[in-house]
Amino acid sequence: MLETNQNLPQLYRFCYLMTGDAMKAQEAFQATLREAALRSAQREPPKDRLWFFRDARSRCLVVGEEGLQPEAIKLEESDVSPHAPGQVAQLNPEQLAIWVSAAPEPQRSALAAYYLDEFTPHELLTLLDLSPSELAKALARGRRQFQAWLNATTPADVYEE
Amino acid sequence: MSIFRISRREELLTRFAPITEKPGTDRRMRAAILRARRSRSVATAFSYQQTFDKAIANLVRAIPVSNEVAEWFRNEKLIPRSKRTWKKTAKNPAVLSAALALAVIAGVVLFIVMERVSEFPGAGTARKMLTIASTTDRTQLDVVEAEAGSLGDFFFMKYRLEHYDVAPEFAGLRTTACRVFDDDEGRRVAQISVREKRMQFFLFPAERDVKEARPREFSGWRFVEQEGWTGAVRVRDGVCFMAAVRGEQKELEPYLAEAVQRAAAGAPER
Repeated sequence: MLETNQNLPQLYRFCYLMTGDAMKAQEAFQATLREAALRSAQREPPKDRLWFFRDARSRCLVVGEEGLQPEAIKLEESDVSPHAPGQVAQLNPEQLAIWVSAAPEPQRSALAAYYLDEFTPHELLTLLDLSPSELAKALARGRRQFQAWLNATTPADVYEE
Repeated sequence: MSIFRISRREELLTRFAPITEKPGTDRRMRAAILRARRSRSVATAFSYQQTFDKAIANLVRAIPVSNEVAEWFRNEKLIPRSKRTWKKTAKNPAVLSAALALAVIAGVVLFIVMERVSEFPGAGTARKMLTIASTTDRTQLDVVEAEAGSLGDFFFMKYRLEHYDVAPEFAGLRTTACRVFDDDEGRRVAQISVREKRMQFFLFPAERDVKEARPREFSGWRFVEQEGWTGAVRVRDGVCFMAAVRGEQKELEPYLAEAVQRAAAGAPER
């Protein structure tokens, strides 16, 4: 079987987006790799890369349940703005990860997997075990909510002409 | 209706359109993206969505990977690279068309081989005789009511045709008429009509080997089909005998097998 480790940084980033915390991400990431190594040693290696992300996702969900939990509130929504790239450029990855990790399931997993820009649509649906309409809804709402949050946190006057 | 009019389902698909182009993206998604880009109603929103998604994907790519984590995958080779499955390969249009072409070629080759296998020396002449059988009018033949097996002497005495004997399997059948004529290549052909199954018998010279000038023989009975008629042919002493019947091989074959058995047992014909 062909193997590569080029996806491993992506796996770590996925864990980071899912947990919003470097320590928790590392914990889930390492546990997944240990499990994969164990399976390989038992001559039952993971059959594809999706296995890693699926395993990491479940571990992140468990890890994420520890400690403080985000409050369930109804977020503002706003249309995606043409100025969004400029607003996003003002953020650092940690802010994004915290925002994503606070999202409810399955939106959190959908956003984390989608923005890795790693999977084909079919792989995304398989990994997340969602229907196309569920995935579309989760992402569309995520975009609108994130845009509303961007509007609230990044200075709007920069984009006014 | 414009070909770029986007359906609700396509609009839904574009919400999780790949941020960068990926080789495994399916056709429906590609069509949805194309329509979204050209559609008046959603093109703007879609372009905003794409720039928004790209900006976030860039931010995700900027997530730092610590040295401690990097250590884990320095020597590890654990994630299998997705392999192209045979199903996916088989669905490729190029592979499909190549397979189809090969299947057609194989079919043609098989057909030619099967034809060659069923071919035998004199098969061409036998087919011509079947055409004659299908067009022969009863009045073209002279009335001769006798046992088919006795016509060999008749042909020899009257036409000097040596070895023009009806096969023993059919020798006991009663004839109704017969004639002797020259075919288009000048060969003498004897045609006999019998009551049984309204069969017709043909006796004609076997094909000759050009080099050795000897009749080309074959063993047992061989079948030919032409214009709704089937003939069972065998060769003896340089003369082909053919029993022809209207219908298919599957109808003549059991009848012949029965006749062969009867002849082997020495039983009289019906």
